[in-house]
Amino acid sequence: MKTLPTFAFILMAAISVPASPLPPGCRQFLEAHCTECHDGDLKKGGLDLTAFPYDLAQPANFAEWVLVHDRISRGEMPPKKKPRPDAKEAAAFLSSLSASLISAEQQRIDLAGRSMQRRLNRYEYENALRDLLHAPWLQVRDALPEDGEAFRFNKVGEALDMSHVQMARYLSVADYALRQAMAPYAEQPAVKVHRYYTRDQGSYTGPMKFDVFNTAPERATFPVLGLEGQPEVRAGRAPLTSTNPAVRELEGVGVVASAYEPIEPKFNQFRAPVPGHYKLRFNAYSVWVGPGKGAEWYVPDLDNISRGHRDEPITITADTPPGRLRTLGHFDATPEPAVHELDVWLLAGELIRPDAGRLFRSRPGRGRWHNPLAETNGQPGVVFRWMEVEGPLYDQWPPAGHTLMFGDLPMTNRVLIAVSTGDAKPRRRRQFQPAPGVEVLSKEPMVDAERLLGGFLKQAYRHPTTPADVRRFLPVVRAALAQGDSFTEAMLAAYTAVLCSPEFVYLEEQPGPLDDYALASRLSFFLWNSPPDAELRQCANGHQLHRPEVLRAQTERLLNDPKSTRFITAFLDYWLDLRKMLDTAPDAELYSDYYLDDLLTESALEEPRDFFAELVRDDLPARNIVASDFTYVNERLAAHYGLPPVQGVALRRVKLPPDSPRGGLLTDAAVLKVTANGTTTSPVLRGVWVMERILGQPAPAKPASVPAIEPDTRGAVTIRQQLEKHRSQESCAACHAKMDPAGFALENFDVMGGWRDRYRAEGPGGPPEPGIAKSGQKFSFHYALPVDASGVLPDGRRFQDIRELKRLLLANEEQLARNLVRQLSIYATGAPVRFADRGQIESILARARPSQYGVRSLICELVQSPLFTKK
Amino acid sequence: MHITTHRPLSRRAFLRGAGILISLPLLEAMTPAFAGVVRATPPASAPKPRRFLGVCNNLGLLPDQFFPKEAGRDYTLSPYLEVLQAHRDQFTVFSGVWHPDVDGGHPADNCFLTAAPHPGSAGFRNTISLDQYIAERMGPLTRFPSLTLGVNVLQGQRSLSWTGSGALIPCEEKAADVFALMFLQGTKSETDAQVRKLELGQSILDAVAGQARDLERKVGARDRDRLDQYFTSVRELEKRMQMSKEWENRPKPKVTAPMPLDPASPKAYMDKVKLMYDMARLAFETDSTRSISLLLDSVNSPAIEFGTVKTTDGYHNLSHHGKSKEKLAQLQAIDEWHMKLLSDLFAQLKAVREDGETLLDRTMILYGSNLGNANTHVTTNLPAIFAGGGFRHGQHLAFNTEHNYPLPNLFVSILQRFGLETERFASATGTMRGLEAT
Repeated sequence: MKTLPTFAFILMAAISVPASPLPPGCRQFLEAHCTECHDGDLKKGGLDLTAFPYDLAQPANFAEWVLVHDRISRGEMPPKKKPRPDAKEAAAFLSSLSASLISAEQQRIDLAGRSMQRRLNRYEYENALRDLLHAPWLQVRDALPEDGEAFRFNKVGEALDMSHVQMARYLSVADYALRQAMAPYAEQPAVKVHRYYTRDQGSYTGPMKFDVFNTAPERATFPVLGLEGQPEVRAGRAPLTSTNPAVRELEGVGVVASAYEPIEPKFNQFRAPVPGHYKLRFNAYSVWVGPGKGAEWYVPDLDNISRGHRDEPITITADTPPGRLRTLGHFDATPEPAVHELDVWLLAGELIRPDAGRLFRSRPGRGRWHNPLAETNGQPGVVFRWMEVEGPLYDQWPPAGHTLMFGDLPMTNRVLIAVSTGDAKPRRRRQFQPAPGVEVLSKEPMVDAERLLGGFLKQAYRHPTTPADVRRFLPVVRAALAQGDSFTEAMLAAYTAVLCSPEFVYLEEQPGPLDDYALASRLSFFLWNSPPDAELRQCANGHQLHRPEVLRAQTERLLNDPKSTRFITAFLDYWLDLRKMLDTAPDAELYSDYYLDDLLTESALEEPRDFFAELVRDDLPARNIVASDFTYVNERLAAHYGLPPVQGVALRRVKLPPDSPRGGLLTDAAVLKVTANGTTTSPVLRGVWVMERILGQPAPAKPASVPAIEPDTRGAVTIRQQLEKHRSQESCAACHAKMDPAGFALENFDVMGGWRDRYRAEGPGGPPEPGIAKSGQKFSFHYALPVDASGVLPDGRRFQDIRELKRLLLANEEQLARNLVRQLSIYATGAPVRFADRGQIESILARARPSQYGVRSLICELVQSPLFTKK
Repeated sequence: MHITTHRPLSRRAFLRGAGILISLPLLEAMTPAFAGVVRATPPASAPKPRRFLGVCNNLGLLPDQFFPKEAGRDYTLSPYLEVLQAHRDQFTVFSGVWHPDVDGGHPADNCFLTAAPHPGSAGFRNTISLDQYIAERMGPLTRFPSLTLGVNVLQGQRSLSWTGSGALIPCEEKAADVFALMFLQGTKSETDAQVRKLELGQSILDAVAGQARDLERKVGARDRDRLDQYFTSVRELEKRMQMSKEWENRPKPKVTAPMPLDPASPKAYMDKVKLMYDMARLAFETDSTRSISLLLDSVNSPAIEFGTVKTTDGYHNLSHHGKSKEKLAQLQAIDEWHMKLLSDLFAQLKAVREDGETLLDRTMILYGSNLGNANTHVTTNLPAIFAGGGFRHGQHLAFNTEHNYPLPNLFVSILQRFGLETERFASATGTMRGLEAT
């Protein structure tokens, strides 16, 4: 009972099913095998079956009988010490009970459906706006309140609440999105190609000078001409840039640090004038910066520049001051100067910040920082010459989103009006001023409004619209015009209303088989996390989609479309908690080698996405979730995993050595990070996580009275030893025997998923490990007690380490597939897998068995199943 | 149509096209949150008004002078807290607290009221600040949902206040502007424009509510529950818009205090701090707002002058004292003056009475820093004082200085004191251990 989420009760609470007597034969079985302990006197586990009613209309009662069914079915009850019931007798009991349970539940499902009506979650809402308004650059997810989750996903109606705050945010988000999608100017702006030289960027050249806050060469930038340092320029005795255009092309500005306070050079003269599509080109290369004098060899000599020794990974980030950062892409800066192009969507006002992520990030601490990458003959650096911006690029004019809203009505540029400030002189603001936008002109506002709204609604709503729908929103236009607002503003108000209206915000489904429109929505919100596109709508319009072969073809099409990455990302964000990747950071002392290493974190986040995408794409067996002979790494991750080195920042598929503990999702750095807290790992937490997410065997709820173990990083005791005492108590042992084993096997992985044979500790107990962190500070941790990663599965099978555990888990690949289907079906249908749904899960598995439970097959069979095609 | 329950804090220097705001970050920045309910005499059953002022001095305080040595109620006041001696029973001092995983040195001040982790990392996006969270919910009760103030902030372009979308709300840096906003009547055209926007908002809500009603007829009981919730949300928002509209036509309160005169030079840092404290007090006294943030941008301050002291070096520079005796002495003088101004503010709030309680009893003041020690830029062991608001104060809540306790737990305590039912704010794990409401 405790294992059932509270939501199950709410789900069923509203519907009444008449109480029924215990199915025939069940009473006798219970009396023969159960009531010796579960009676009024002993009441073992709080359960008295002699007095317990059979009232399936009560959700709690229903859940309890499911538990009775499951514990007997798994052979957990009667307990091992007691005589076993005759197998036939038990089977008869189970089949009778389960038929009764299913029939009770099926009645409820027929009446109201498995799922509850739900609104779009914020991922879906963002995608819906992007697709409808043809504005892929929109970033509005974080402007909406965080969605509630149930059964681990943000797709379940019961948890997707509304509030006045949510409503207010919808209004402002919709208004913002609509304005972002309008033509920024009345005429198409000419496509400009402009080069921003680093020598002209104050943000690059400012830090060449030392000042009272900063006298450290590591935190300075430096002028470079080809492979020459420029002491005169650096000292301010020569001009920053040459008047000779040919020389100017060879000038650059370098750093030996990665972008972090206080040294974060940006191309500050460029701010994206309007939101949209741009091409960015960077001329950059890696260099080698000479050593300091004598004992200070690790301090760079910024005048002594030579050819770089290796490639340097670069992360390009868009920055909205102050401090809102968005990663745009990566490339490798080679020793040979080269131009790298990124195709990007920018928000108005964003500026571009390159980051040479491998380089160090000086932090104050116990002593002066010391670049960990410094060698006695120098240290690596990166030079940027210029950034070229091409854009904004339009594939049609006016932009498609604008045309959707305003058709081909004429427009004029709005004029920037400085509103009187009351100040004698206006304050100078460095803040970015967005384009003033356009005013769309209409000679017959109400006629145009009716026509345009009709077209807009047709695209916005996911089912056929009628003139009545249009009439609902016309009063908004009328009211706006009546109070003197312009036609443009009146239309924007009406469109805002549409985007906040229930038919846009909520997914509509009626009990029973879904109609073609609802099916189209369910399919596209499943596989694209966004509304149906034109083709899918067409299938719905023609009432074709429910036909199995059409549905299958559309499933394949959606999976093959690049938009399916939205599914991969959103599904993994919740299934594996990848959205929590940045919630905690490696401890600055204990894991100072990971601390500040954004490149590692970002790479780790990509790995499971690329991996799962391949499982879907190539229909690879579900067992790969636990063990695979390949994974995706870049240079940083390969080093982290101790794999044969690869070069470069891009992730690529690699075949793993036969003895590698990696492969599968369990041992991904990302998974190991989100299941730890940055400082310590817990076999219990990780074990429970694996049981629930990967094996589909949720752990019993934690008893409230037992405090969590206080993590100890002093090194004298391991977490396993701390747990031993607890596990040895009989009342705790039963649950922990189920929860912990997988967690023990993962103890060989630290908080960032690095392999460890020994635990790290702080404080006395050993000299600090030699080495310097990315912060430039010396390591302060030491290695303490060894890791024991062995364990025993609940069924008695033993393992020594993660490799053996994986082999044991693979023995039941059907269970891995079953769990995946269950997770997918919650995600796809917004409803938990209930007792009555189990049969359908099994038939999905049966149909996917020939593919060895290929992930793509599982998805396709799920879509064909009544679980998916009925509400 | 922008969300019209937001009342612009300042419409002055912003550019608008045909009277309509242009983009969300800018627009949200101008209109921090809801405004609403006209405050007549509150009915006896109405909950007590609660208020919040959050102050961050982004260079912090010298730790050895600030933190008391003993924990609990019988602790001995530290040298700095001696200055606050008269208010000993009206504040709690914390040690061993931090904002979990908020690192990165100076930029951490962005997160003082948000507690969003890793302000320096590449995926960083700030989250809603405590004052704005309060404003979104309590805003309708006062003319201004919140005030965002700053001292020596370069062109007002930084602050402690962040919207739910992670957009910065620029601060008011001149006390005179804040005063004018609160007490001088706006122009008719400004008022009219605001009323028009609210009315448009109401017509939008009418349209969507109508659709919700129609849909309710088509769905079963369970699904109707969801639409009911939608409908209620719309009605609640509508009520708030109505309240906002009513504010527009009500005269602003009159005060006897004169229009403040803002010092021109950033050297007069301390005078500016005092003026902003005055504005906060006036705002609370007239119930103009319930939520105020104040960033003391010490990092951006030059050598400063106060009382008889003229520092020889820039404030930021002094903070990197490197244990120099001269610098430490000057920093100590600065810090003590901070305490004195705070003491004056507490005293003034105590002198004002509202329904038989002092204004301080109903005003929660958090004074602290994003830096535990400016000399080393650490963001652990943050100095923090929490005063007033109807808590059992007079204690030093000492937490583990090696493994810090989450300061966001205090935020949850504050929100609950406002009567808001929440267990979570940012990385909070619950309410502040050891802090009890009276």
